[in-house]
Amino acid sequence: MSDETAEVRIRPLQDTDLGDITGLDEKIAGEYRPDVWELRLGYYMRRDPDASLVAELDGAVVGFMLGEVRSGEFGLEEPTGWIEVMGVDPEVRGRSIGRRLAAAMLDYFRARGATTVRTLVDRDMEGIAQFFTALGFEPAGLTPFSKKLA
Amino acid sequence: MAIAKTHIPRKFHDAVLKWRDVFLPDYGFLMDNWDRHFPREPRFEACAYRELGICDEIECGDLKGRPKFTRAADLDPEQAGHLLGAIRAQASTEFGSIQQHRLTLARAQDEKDQVWILRMMAEELRHGYQMLHLLLDDDWSCVSDTSGEQMVEEILSMTTGSHVLGAFNIDFDSFVDNATFCALIDRVGKYQLEMQRISAYRPFAESMPPMLREEAFHLAAGVVPLRRWMERAALGSHYITSADIQKVINKWLPRGLEMFGDERGGGTNVRYGLKPMKNAEAQDLYYREVEKLVRDLNMRFVRARLPELKLREAEAVLDEVVAERKAVQGIRWEDLVHLPHKHFFRRRGVPAFELTGWEGEAFADVDLYLAHLSAHLPDAYRASSDFRDYGEKLREVAAGETTAAEAAREMPALRRVGGACPCSKSVRWVAGNGTAGGAAEGPAAV
Ligand SMILES: CC(C)(COP(=O)(O)OP(=O)(O)OC[C@H]1O[C@@H](n2cnc3c(N)ncnc32)[C@H](O)[C@@H]1OP(=O)(O)O)[C@@H](O)C(=O)NCCC(=O)NCCS
Ligand SMILES: [Fe+2]
Ligand SMILES: [Fe+2]
Repeated sequence: MSDETAEVRIRPLQDTDLGDITGLDEKIAGEYRPDVWELRLGYYMRRDPDASLVAELDGAVVGFMLGEVRSGEFGLEEPTGWIEVMGVDPEVRGRSIGRRLAAAMLDYFRARGATTVRTLVDRDMEGIAQFFTALGFEPAGLTPFSKKLA
Repeated sequence: MAIAKTHIPRKFHDAVLKWRDVFLPDYGFLMDNWDRHFPREPRFEACAYRELGICDEIECGDLKGRPKFTRAADLDPEQAGHLLGAIRAQASTEFGSIQQHRLTLARAQDEKDQVWILRMMAEELRHGYQMLHLLLDDDWSCVSDTSGEQMVEEILSMTTGSHVLGAFNIDFDSFVDNATFCALIDRVGKYQLEMQRISAYRPFAESMPPMLREEAFHLAAGVVPLRRWMERAALGSHYITSADIQKVINKWLPRGLEMFGDERGGGTNVRYGLKPMKNAEAQDLYYREVEKLVRDLNMRFVRARLPELKLREAEAVLDEVVAERKAVQGIRWEDLVHLPHKHFFRRRGVPAFELTGWEGEAFADVDLYLAHLSAHLPDAYRASSDFRDYGEKLREVAAGETTAAEAAREMPALRRVGGACPCSKSVRWVAGNGTAGGAAEGPAAV
């Protein structure tokens, strides 16, 4: 796993990746949430099974990125690629796996006619903001507003 | 993604709806409960979809790089004839196969599982509709004296199911079949659709991506209940045990492997620009995928039984039980499900009529082998004519009265009759080289 020359392969998400993605989430967030991921993957597979991706390192799934192209949201009429959920195994971070997942997803978004890619990052998740900044993303002119309902 | 939605001419559209009322009587229940079970998902609609903006050029084979064909008349007549046979057979089987799931649909223990299967059936109806659309949207007079309209009438007037399936149908015995069939056989369909999306005939290729998105749901309609059943089995449920699931996997997996066609074939499709992979290559990827599915089911079992374990610990328990075949923290090897050997219970392809056991062990005696199969297959299936016919052929091969290759040709094969969606519903049991709709799928023969 720590072999720097090991081969990384990016491929479309499959239904059988659920176990591995649930495992990655557990490593990252510390919680076993199979039902949450079953629903989530079901959604993305059903919408566009080619848009969402996983990264394999020597055949083992070590990262994933879920997203899709949508239009008409937030008054954004043009087709927009959305990167929505992602994760890279903490043991192999810093080896450009996130970067490669994003590059493949952006290529796909372009091929689908999207002219912009967007994502939303929680202000508390500084690492993720830095990741997107490193990839050339800039803060967009949309400010998210929210209000607690309970 | 840009999609064009179309309907077939009114009178045929109405005929499909009428067909649906007769053969999918629970359709109204599905639609009445759609929002409850599938909130936020677009409601099902009987229509044809074409994905716009697909690759313009033929993607493999001798004509690679040339523009894809948009009209049947532009194809080589032999290719066009083959294509037409494939679409016709496909259409009739998509419609006909809905009846297969219907046999045991009412036996589901859970309404959600049932409604998911019902939605899958409705989507198979749409796959049939999609094929009718292809028949009506092009001029096939270059290869057939029958007009597109006549072909559609013929397909819709068939009481598909009974006569097409005949004695060769492998019936569903319980709702475990519905789910396992979706998980294993629709998965073969996914591979075939995936390969056919490169088809040199553009309207066919454009039909694939929307069908593939539906296929993803069909897989889930199978795998999701299987996961739940494994979790419940881990907690001591007596309704559906892992042993039950194992036997149904044993019943379908060998047939799924055979749907890829003979392990030595597939080269012609690649040359014709119809598929990018040979049979053995696709079959192997499929087998690996099912292996992953089996491990996932076992992890569900372990984690439901031992919720206090962390991921790594649970993986270690599973690995130890599987490798050592001993009970670890109360979980026994028999409590889990396992992947049957690729050569187990095969009747077509390279290992046809080998006496290879469930774990790859070799048998020297036919009776011992049949006893072994009996122990590993569902009781109701053992009582079927399909199993008896196989057993009789096996004896003939063992006695040297016929060769394995000859026997394989005579066995009904669960094969994709035609070319389009080879998922659950496009699958039919056909004897020998005969086909239900007139279009033999070459690679399925030994
Ligand atoms: C963000 C994440 C995907 C990055 O994956 P990764 O494979 O380690 O990233 P890469 O190696 O491809 O890094 C790409 C660039 O981002 C930068 N970067 C990545 N993580 C960073 C961090 N935490 N802080 C600062 N910069 C970071 C890298 O320095 C690199 O920049 P460079 O190429 O200019 O040197 C990964 O850290 C992760 O999964 N985090 C948790 C995700 C999460 O919480 N998901 C749930 C909510 S969506
Ligand atoms: Fe289908
Ligand atoms: Fe299907």
